[in-house]
Amino acid sequence: MTPQLIVTVLVLAPLLGAIVAGLFGRRIGNVASQAVTTGLLFLACALAWTTFASVIWGGWGHFTVELAPFINVGAFHSDWAIRIDSLSAVMLIVVTSVSALVHLYSWGYMADDDSRPRFFAYLSLFTFAMLALVTAADFMQLFFGWEGVGLASYLLIGFWYKKPTASAAAIKAFVVNRVGDFGFALGIMTTFWMFGSVRFADIFPAVAAHAGQTWTFAGHYWAAMDLACSLLFVGAMGKSAQFFLHTWLPDAMEGPTPVSALIHAATMVTAGVYMVCLLSPMFEYAPVARQIVTGVGAVTALFAATVGLAQNDIKRVIAYSTCSQLGYMFIAAGVGAYQGAMFHLFTHAFFKALLFLGAGSVIMGMHHEQDMRNMGALWKKLPITYVVMLIGTIAITGVGLPGLELGFAGFYSKDAIIDAAFAAGSHNNSTAYFAFVISVIAAGLTSFYSWRLIFMTFHGHAKWGAAAATHGVHGDAEPSHDAHAHDDHAHDDHGHGHDHTPHESPWVMLLPLLALAVGAVFAGKVFVEQFVGEGRAEFWRGAIFNGASNHVLDNLHVLPAWVVWAPLTVTAIGFVLAWYVYIAKEGMGAAIAARRGPLWTFLYNKWFFDELYDATFVRGAKALGDLFWKGGDQRLIDGLGPNGVAAVSALIGRRTGKMQTGYVYHYAFVMLLGVAGLLSFALYAWSK
Amino acid sequence: MALQAIAFYLLAAVTIGAGLLVVTARNPVHSVLFLICAFFSAAGLFVMLGAEFLAMLLVVVYVGAVAVLFLFVVMMLDVDFSALRAGFVRYLPIGGLVALILVVEIVAVSASVASHGAAAGAAVLTPSHDITNAEAIGRVLYTDYVYFFQAAGLVLLVAMIGAIVLTLRHRAGVRRQNIAAQVARTPATGMRIVQIKSGEGLSE
Amino acid sequence: MDFYGALQVALPEAFLAVSALALLVLGAVTAARGAILVSVLAGVALLVAAVLAAVGPLGTAFSGGLVADNASAFAKVAIYAMSAVAVLLGAGWLERLKARQFEYPVLILLAAIGMGIMASSGDLISLYIGVELQSLALYVLAAFRRDDAKASEAGLKYFVLGALSSGLLLYGASLIYGFAGSVKFVDIAATVHAGAGTGVLFGLVFLICGLAFKVSAAPFHMWTPDVYEGAPTPVVAFFGAAPKLAAMVLFARALADAFSGAADQWRQVVIIIALASMLLGAFAGLVQKNLKRLWAYSSIANVGYALVGLSAGTREGYQSMLVFMVLYMIDVTGFFACLAALNRNGKPMETIDDMAGLMRERPGMALAMTAFAVSAIGFPPFSGFWAKFFVFKAILAAGYVQHALPVGLAVSVAVVGLVSSVVAAFYYLRLIKVMWFDPAPGAVDAAPADAKGIAYAAALFSFPVVMVGLPLLYPLAGVAAAAFGLG
Repeated sequence: MTPQLIVTVLVLAPLLGAIVAGLFGRRIGNVASQAVTTGLLFLACALAWTTFASVIWGGWGHFTVELAPFINVGAFHSDWAIRIDSLSAVMLIVVTSVSALVHLYSWGYMADDDSRPRFFAYLSLFTFAMLALVTAADFMQLFFGWEGVGLASYLLIGFWYKKPTASAAAIKAFVVNRVGDFGFALGIMTTFWMFGSVRFADIFPAVAAHAGQTWTFAGHYWAAMDLACSLLFVGAMGKSAQFFLHTWLPDAMEGPTPVSALIHAATMVTAGVYMVCLLSPMFEYAPVARQIVTGVGAVTALFAATVGLAQNDIKRVIAYSTCSQLGYMFIAAGVGAYQGAMFHLFTHAFFKALLFLGAGSVIMGMHHEQDMRNMGALWKKLPITYVVMLIGTIAITGVGLPGLELGFAGFYSKDAIIDAAFAAGSHNNSTAYFAFVISVIAAGLTSFYSWRLIFMTFHGHAKWGAAAATHGVHGDAEPSHDAHAHDDHAHDDHGHGHDHTPHESPWVMLLPLLALAVGAVFAGKVFVEQFVGEGRAEFWRGAIFNGASNHVLDNLHVLPAWVVWAPLTVTAIGFVLAWYVYIAKEGMGAAIAARRGPLWTFLYNKWFFDELYDATFVRGAKALGDLFWKGGDQRLIDGLGPNGVAAVSALIGRRTGKMQTGYVYHYAFVMLLGVAGLLSFALYAWSK
Repeated sequence: MALQAIAFYLLAAVTIGAGLLVVTARNPVHSVLFLICAFFSAAGLFVMLGAEFLAMLLVVVYVGAVAVLFLFVVMMLDVDFSALRAGFVRYLPIGGLVALILVVEIVAVSASVASHGAAAGAAVLTPSHDITNAEAIGRVLYTDYVYFFQAAGLVLLVAMIGAIVLTLRHRAGVRRQNIAAQVARTPATGMRIVQIKSGEGLSE
Repeated sequence: MDFYGALQVALPEAFLAVSALALLVLGAVTAARGAILVSVLAGVALLVAAVLAAVGPLGTAFSGGLVADNASAFAKVAIYAMSAVAVLLGAGWLERLKARQFEYPVLILLAAIGMGIMASSGDLISLYIGVELQSLALYVLAAFRRDDAKASEAGLKYFVLGALSSGLLLYGASLIYGFAGSVKFVDIAATVHAGAGTGVLFGLVFLICGLAFKVSAAPFHMWTPDVYEGAPTPVVAFFGAAPKLAAMVLFARALADAFSGAADQWRQVVIIIALASMLLGAFAGLVQKNLKRLWAYSSIANVGYALVGLSAGTREGYQSMLVFMVLYMIDVTGFFACLAALNRNGKPMETIDDMAGLMRERPGMALAMTAFAVSAIGFPPFSGFWAKFFVFKAILAAGYVQHALPVGLAVSVAVVGLVSSVVAAFYYLRLIKVMWFDPAPGAVDAAPADAKGIAYAAALFSFPVVMVGLPLLYPLAGVAAAAFGLG
């Protein structure tokens, strides 16, 4: 097989699976649908690894397969294409690996669901859209993939559409993403306006020539490149759930857990990071935009980590963790260490998918219980899940020995980001320095909430069993009449029929966990040299562009010792604190919650963002909508438009119908009128 | 020439006047008579153009056949013309307005054309004095215009078929002449020789 | 050209004329017994004539009176074929009525000759004779059921108004002859090119008015709804199709062959007629309850669309007009075949309400009628969509590409066309709604095979056969359109 054929099959295989399962799922049955989609996904996964190996170490090089023209209007050309380079190859393996494992995992997790073909079709559709996104050779296909994954995300969040909260969450995700997409679309237009093309291959070589271009608006000169990159970043903010546009991600946990693992942890939400890295040639020439990226990333990292401290829903904790980690990635991209961002994206995919799937295993084991306050002491009941969750937690907290360069995956990637932020910050870049400080603090918080999750779930006293049926009444939980607490009890609609003792999940679910655990342990050690180390030039081969003055990654090895050791130190502090609060003095966390201090309330309510948005945008939009709907549409548009036009049409119809009297002399008269009229018109028109 | 001009204007005026009266006359019989008058005047115009054959045709066909047929129909059918005319006054203003517009436009165009030297490209045809009208028509009617002649024949055929289809009814009990049967009669079938005894006569 | 050569050029019409006479004699001899035989032979004769028209020699005969070119060949094939379909439909109808009248196929044959003369007329005389021959046959056909008051009324109205229009036509022709000095299109074209005087153009307006009556374009459309409603359905199926194409081709021929030098002038008049037709057909149809009346208004609107193609005055416009008319003819014949086939308790179903529940009673017929309605809306990929698509493309191209008319005007015409399509969609959709969703009041009689076959064939043509047929039809129409003497 030629490389072109391989990558074409690789991208289209999930689409085929989606079509088969989506259109014929009911006919061919559940098992066949699952087998087809999962089989094709594993095929795609194998091809992706082949491609990755061949591109990085083999002789394939970077190439683009043009499949078909997409849009061809005037100067605007866009093709369906598959762009293969180091960057997309990395994404290919991330997407297909996690997706394949999630497909497999879903055999067990969704075993009781009635509409499994639909679920698997959506999963495969999502995978296809994501592959289209990462292999895009121009902005249009990027946008297609962008919207495609958005659609699949919407469908999957609202998969249990009979559940009102799930539907609402799906709509919220869609609407918030629209805000980002609006910016993204404007960014694409600005880019097209600047370069006259949407093809990356045309744009990137021309960036340097357009670097100083300005755009006059409202009397000011705006740096066009900064404007374009900032607008594009707005799109990335929406998709990657960055500060201000993050509100949809926690709610998206209403979807089935495999979905959370695939879309809302490993792949789709990282699309924004990927996009910024892909567009590194442009961002390198947009200093202001990069400051924005760094700032937003840092604020998100801190914000999400603080909120994660006070959440009780196991999935929401991990969701905020994801949000926070994405902030890290943007910090890296913002300070110019795109390789670091991609590296963290890569390792994060493994351990975050691991954590989510592990959480799913816990939820299964607890009979669709998601509230950590009702768990505890599960490690004996779910030993394998416990071990892999432990691995995931160690990985995400970035445990490793800086002196020996030995640690779990997160250690390499996260420390690289923190170091890069410091390296950039020490070169008179205050935003980067701010990001460095934040990222160190956030690392401590990450450690705390991650271990809190482990301790509350697997250790301490069991809060399930006899009292499990009436959760919330138990003494160590806060009163559950609180509205938000109630939200957090989000149950899946379909419980298990059997008894209520926690149980370990089936092997079909554990196998993906083990596979991901391997990745979470070794992904960092194996790839650190290629991604950010000495071998990076050889690895990326120009897929990521670093400006002439960008030496962030070169400076990683000449950092002061305290910077190198700081992350590990705060991580250890976070661990100890968590141990103290949730193990040594078990019940202290619940006591803090019960006191309802202002800080706790602030964090528990996620900085009151939902309330703020509800008061401003949602109510405001509703009022505006009401105004336009009742006043504008119903009275003005409908009155003059559809209804008015219909009434007038009927009236004209009746009038002309009346003209048809049936008398010949009337008809003849109308004919003569016509003759006279046409003659008069002709004389008038021709005499001119 | 003056005489010709006088004759033309006279005939033209009579044609138009008679035409107007056809429409406005109260008595339908009068209408038909005015129609005949208009035909005659038109025939006179043809004569002035040197088209005697057409003039005679007009008189023979239109006056002799068509108009007389009209007269028969009008006099035989008891049509209540006063009822048909009821709307006349009602529609007169608007109808008159349309007619006026048409007349004004036709006059305007005629005047404009006349001021530009009448019909461009149309040389005045001078009738040939070597052959008669009928001969001239006959020469082209069955050669150059045979197509139109035949097609016109088809039009008449359709008219005939139409008249038959729409009006012919086969009534039961009507005795019809059967020519074939009549011709086929022989003495053997047509008569019988009977010996009659005197004083008895025939029984039937 | 000698007479023999001329006869060869006129062979389709000559053949039809001889056939008509022979069949007339045959019918008169065999009377009611031979009616079916006469119908069959008439159909065969029409098909033979279609073949002759397709393969016969091209040329001009009878001193320019008859022009056989690609345009006339294209039109004649369509006309004769559609006439044959009308003969078939009519034969079955008469058979069911127990009224075996052999005159019916003969009259259609004679009308077809008239249409052939129209399609290949090369001067004003053949124009007029063709129109008269066709019209006179149609008047008789409209009133063919002489015992039916409505049919008689329809025939009489058609006749009286037709006479008026003939008067307009003749008045225009005489003005043109008077000012141009010839009845031949080529001579008139030369005069007009040299500089069209007001007189000639004045005559042209009258000519356009007369022809507009024949294609039932507004404001000369008034006869259409009454005649469609009153005349027997199979006759209407004939009316709605072939004569419209013949008149349209004649229209195109007169404007292109004789008046291409005055295209800017007549375009304005034709556009006004087209706009009036589209709007009137769309709006007046809204309140109709009788399907035949409704389709009469639909035909007015559709003629408006065809006139849009004509008014473009470009080769592409003429091509689109020919394609439009052919596609429309097939749809309209199919629709009236459906109506002819549908009876409820022996009574014809003619109103929209009669169609209630047809989907449950006769799904095949309902599907066919749905196809025609959807096609009439102009919904892709049905044939009606393509018909309109090409017309609007042509008028826009005439504005944007050929610069034959102001861009603003071209766009306005297209916009009005689209708006009227939207308005007209209402009544087509209402028909579909009634057929599919309303409860049926009673059983529908079994549909006769002939009408049903025609309806199904036409529906299948509407979609999907059109997707195959169009790539053949469109270039053929292009070749035909090239034959018109456009500037």
